[in-house]
Amino acid sequence: MKSFEYLQPTTLEEALAALPTSRDPKERERVRLIAGGQDLLTEMKEHLAEPDLVVDLKRIEGLDKIRVQSDGSLVIGATCTLAALEEHAHVREHFAVLSRAAGSVGSTQIRSVASVGGNLCQRPRCWYYRSEQIPCIKKGGAECFAYSGLNKYNAILGGGPSYIVHPSDLAPALVALGAEITLRSATQQRILPLERFFTLPSEGRVQQENDLGPGEMVVELKVPSLPAGAGTWRSDYFKVRERGSYDFALAALALALLVDDGTIRGARLCLGAVAPIPWRADKAEALLVGRKVDDEACRLAGEAALAGARPLEHNGYKLDLTRGLISKALRQLASS
Amino acid sequence: MAARDNHGTSPPWGRSFGVLGQPHRKLDGLAKATGSAVYADDLALPGMLHAKTLRSPHAHARIESIDASKALALEGVHAVITGRDLPERYGVIPWTQDETALAVDRVRFIGDPVAAVAAIDEDTANRALKLIEVRYQKLTAWFDPASSLAAQTDRIHPDTKGPGNLSKHVHLCFGDVDGELAGAAHTIEGEYEFHGTTHAPIEPHCAVAAVDAAGLLTVWSSTQITHYVHRALAKVLHLEAHKIRVVQPCLGGAFGGKSDPFSLEFCVAKLAMLTARPVKMLYTREEVFYAHRGRHPMQMRYRTGVDKDGKLRAVDAKILIDGGSYSSFGLVTTYYAGQLLTGPYHFPTYRFDSTRVFTNKPPCGPKRGHGSVQPRFAFEIQLDELAGRLELDPIEIRRRNFQGDFTRTVNGQRVTSNGFLKCLDEVERLSRWKERRGKLGFGRGLGVAGSMYISGTNYPVYPNDMPQAGIQIKLDRSGLATVFTGGNDIGQGSNSMCAYIVAEELGLDLSAVRVVAADTDLCPVDLGAYSSRVTFMVGNATIDACRKLRGQIVQALAEKWQVAKERIRLIAGQALDLEDAARAISIAEAFQIAEARFDTLGSTGSYNTPTLGGDYRGGTIGAAPAYSFTAHIVEVDVDVETGQLTCENVWIAHDCGRALNPMIVAGQMEGSVYMGLAEALLEEHTLNRFGLHAGPNLLDYKLPTSVDTPELYARIVESIDPEGPYGAKEAGEGPLHPALPALSNAVFDAVGVRLRRLPFTPARVLSELRAAGVDAKRHAQAGLPARAEKGAR
Amino acid sequence: MAALNLTINGDRLETAAPDHWTLLEVLRYRLGLTGSKQGCDKGDCGACTVLLDGQPVLACLTLAGLAQGRAVTTIEGLMPAHAREGKSGADPVQDAFDRCGALQCGFCQPGMILSARALLNANAHPTRAQIRAALAGNLCRCTGYTQIVEAVEYAVAVAAGVEPAPRAWETPRARLTDIEEQGTRRPSGQARP
Repeated sequence: MKSFEYLQPTTLEEALAALPTSRDPKERERVRLIAGGQDLLTEMKEHLAEPDLVVDLKRIEGLDKIRVQSDGSLVIGATCTLAALEEHAHVREHFAVLSRAAGSVGSTQIRSVASVGGNLCQRPRCWYYRSEQIPCIKKGGAECFAYSGLNKYNAILGGGPSYIVHPSDLAPALVALGAEITLRSATQQRILPLERFFTLPSEGRVQQENDLGPGEMVVELKVPSLPAGAGTWRSDYFKVRERGSYDFALAALALALLVDDGTIRGARLCLGAVAPIPWRADKAEALLVGRKVDDEACRLAGEAALAGARPLEHNGYKLDLTRGLISKALRQLASS
Repeated sequence: MAARDNHGTSPPWGRSFGVLGQPHRKLDGLAKATGSAVYADDLALPGMLHAKTLRSPHAHARIESIDASKALALEGVHAVITGRDLPERYGVIPWTQDETALAVDRVRFIGDPVAAVAAIDEDTANRALKLIEVRYQKLTAWFDPASSLAAQTDRIHPDTKGPGNLSKHVHLCFGDVDGELAGAAHTIEGEYEFHGTTHAPIEPHCAVAAVDAAGLLTVWSSTQITHYVHRALAKVLHLEAHKIRVVQPCLGGAFGGKSDPFSLEFCVAKLAMLTARPVKMLYTREEVFYAHRGRHPMQMRYRTGVDKDGKLRAVDAKILIDGGSYSSFGLVTTYYAGQLLTGPYHFPTYRFDSTRVFTNKPPCGPKRGHGSVQPRFAFEIQLDELAGRLELDPIEIRRRNFQGDFTRTVNGQRVTSNGFLKCLDEVERLSRWKERRGKLGFGRGLGVAGSMYISGTNYPVYPNDMPQAGIQIKLDRSGLATVFTGGNDIGQGSNSMCAYIVAEELGLDLSAVRVVAADTDLCPVDLGAYSSRVTFMVGNATIDACRKLRGQIVQALAEKWQVAKERIRLIAGQALDLEDAARAISIAEAFQIAEARFDTLGSTGSYNTPTLGGDYRGGTIGAAPAYSFTAHIVEVDVDVETGQLTCENVWIAHDCGRALNPMIVAGQMEGSVYMGLAEALLEEHTLNRFGLHAGPNLLDYKLPTSVDTPELYARIVESIDPEGPYGAKEAGEGPLHPALPALSNAVFDAVGVRLRRLPFTPARVLSELRAAGVDAKRHAQAGLPARAEKGAR
Repeated sequence: MAALNLTINGDRLETAAPDHWTLLEVLRYRLGLTGSKQGCDKGDCGACTVLLDGQPVLACLTLAGLAQGRAVTTIEGLMPAHAREGKSGADPVQDAFDRCGALQCGFCQPGMILSARALLNANAHPTRAQIRAALAGNLCRCTGYTQIVEAVEYAVAVAAGVEPAPRAWETPRARLTDIEEQGTRRPSGQARP
């Protein structure tokens, strides 16, 4: 790891003042924020990130808190740990999908320090991106080596010119819940739907996975309560991975269903690990409403969610797997 | 020479053991548990420098020039060495020495060591590596073994005979295979593929070297073969061997991955000699993946014929082995791929043709179950396929073909005790096989497989007539015994095993036995921890040394007490007269009486195998003084929607001869099964199109965690072998083998699909299920699958 | 180079290290506390697990500066803490690991034992599934985890003052016929001359 200066501000303003406002990516990379550091330090050890200054956010008071608003909605601070999120009683009861997604990340040790903001802003796990020796398109190179190379873990949806998948487990859960993200810079604050925060590589900025602008940082997430309706909302996070711990998903599904007497009255589906962004399946959501969970509904939902999928040479199995996952998750949640 | 034949398999002085057979603690257990055990990277010597290795970015290239002047000029850099500084070749097998510590003129895989830097710290050494300018001329890189075999240009080792990039070819035929196949009631032919895995011990390789003012070089290394490292250092450094001391500190796992001499051992030694300062090199996890020596990828074709009762008539195998860039143990691997299959079943005729090919990838070598895990995978699936063809219970076909004990295999290997049938009985009973197999519903199944493995080998890697294992014991007037063994304790507990034997033989409490191990200055030679040889050979040597001392002590007491020797017992820290309880004295007093009578007390012991093996070229490779036997039953759940296999239970019965410490034997069995399942389900040594390791880290190379490992039920079967120490045989490698084919066979029982290519990841399983027409809906319908075999003729 | 004020195993220590050094590097290479192991240096194995304010964390992914003002417990701290309570010997979890054969090469065990210690501090009666889950961030390459899980269960039983359940291998061993008769049989096919 290259040496760097280390700053431990105690206020948000101090931290924001340390962030460069230049649009030049090289200039921006000179400063990195750290909370849990569970992704950043691995990038630094792999020489993918070599900042001159590291700004520690953990001393900023209140930034790690979960606040439950009077309407039951949540405000989650950016440096809140995944362990705290997973174990929070209100989150467990009313936002099960979020608690379960947080609990599925990494390992106990990682969750005890990894932050919510860090999880959303973590960099991809693509083999080529993570290899110091490969000048891939995510690092300013000309080619996505996964496209014609080893791509069993890569995108089947939304790919091109890069085919990474977004690695976050929280992102699909928060997108399914309709969360908003608050970004702050020294001069302004932006609040946008989390779904819009994540950007496809085809949207221009192939080297980053989100809309974070110069001088901006993630401050908090607002998670509204699911809209009231007939029946009760149930939600869960379904993650298929090769190992039961540590692993990133082969495919994941954040699912919330409003079920009334066996009939779906509301549905939220967001896929993880199949696209460069969390993949909201709004068409599947629409066609599930008014149906009972049966083979036909599962099949239609799978088809709708995966419409437009273009698998690469080694990841065609993800189509089958994701369809299987959707149908299994629907049946499981509807009958729970 | 060792008086092995007189040892017997039980204590000659009594009916039962006092120490052996009990779950004693390990000698070093608490040191490890409290963090005080010292591993190689825990060593810090005054003034120590840190070294790093520059590695090739090309899979195959000629080195045109190396300019290290800028690196040398960097402040804090003390020395830079390249292949020119260490040009002498080495290799663990004397006939195939094709490695150098640093590349000389040519690099053969991405990660091949090119230069090494010693500096005041790792950061400085890493900065210096970036300043070394190397000019390469790229050559055609060979990744596919079949095309590599046909290579006409840019050969990987131009001084080998070829053809192409051939590393080793073995063709052996025993009996009229073609005739028997032609006359067989059923023949079956299939292709099987093993994908290549690596050891991934949690401790990365590390070595420290220091040279004293008199020129004595000491190298501490995380090796499992101190003796071979000692020899290789002398050869490569052109030093007299007596001026080199090699010490293995506490070792953090090896599994065969530390059984070659490695680049870092030569580099730290040379750098310490050049700088006159201690030098340490610790491999990064990425470098451990380049050091590799993992299990060879194999493409295997098997043809097997049986008579109408399911008795084997002929087995015909053709195997293509991807060796990677160097020979390592490859000569042995090529033989083992065929030689070790001829049990626990009787093969009337057998032919194998195995070909190892060099490719521009990290070198393969010996991994736990060396050479035989892959063929065992293929053959045990084929046996299941035959059972299906004959409508026989898969356990029954294995019973019918049992080779028996005290017999000889078709390829001339002498088999002594053989508890395989008992192993089958035990797993059948414990898993409730008869009631449950085929009746667990669609998606859930049971599978069985068996295996055998060598317990040591009679073939030392360099031919010589000296003992394969030596022991010295020194007795102290305090009642303490110190054992000196060249054996490498790599976590399997071999030091503890020595202590248990000494405590048993000399009547000591375990706290009165110390073991000094794996230090070439202090300990007699043992060849190292490989081929499951340590308990067997070092154990026998220890008994040998103990019997001499015991004889002296008993004689001295008999003379002093004026009683017959038979009346004297040494037990639990005391010397007793069996007929006069009042005479009991402490063992310390007994040692003193013997010392007064005989002189300073010490003894040596040794072991050599009898001459074994078939009378043909290569007939000694795979010849072992005894063989272990194993049977597994695996229970699996197949999720046909996601392709995930959940292995839920594994019943393991293993014939280890006699369990000297059943807790340690069970630990070896469980660890073996875990590692076998890992290779079947998760692990894959993946290289990309450039020959670069895709994910050289422990996130992408997936070791199972505690939540991925099923409940393991280890059942020890004791056959009491006449050759082993007190009847003991190996337990650390054999129990790995059946895990992979038993899992495949269980998947067939669950969903009617044969998995013949590893690993069984969701991606592979889903594509195989779909190709076989098993769709997700079947799961819901719980209908029974058609059991028609696809792909088997 | 930055001055560091750390609290390690109850001792307040002052040391200095480059800003980019992790807690693992400071423990091992500045303070000589080599019980915390480096297996991967990327947060993928858990061998470097230490307790930070009682929670298991990866010392290799913790900048040393981030540990300031917090209580660090390493493997070396357990036995002295046990002694401070007036008890002798190793911490009961360490002792259980030794007793149950959970230590083979031992390299992963300092981290594993600290994860187990943290679990038992929070939950004195974990189920087998909870034990497996709590240890899922610590890779072991030797044991297949069985004897590790048994060791934790053993420690739970000892702490509760109940008889530990028999471990998996403690079923009677199967023997072939009469042992001593077997042992005296000689190979029929004698060694090749």
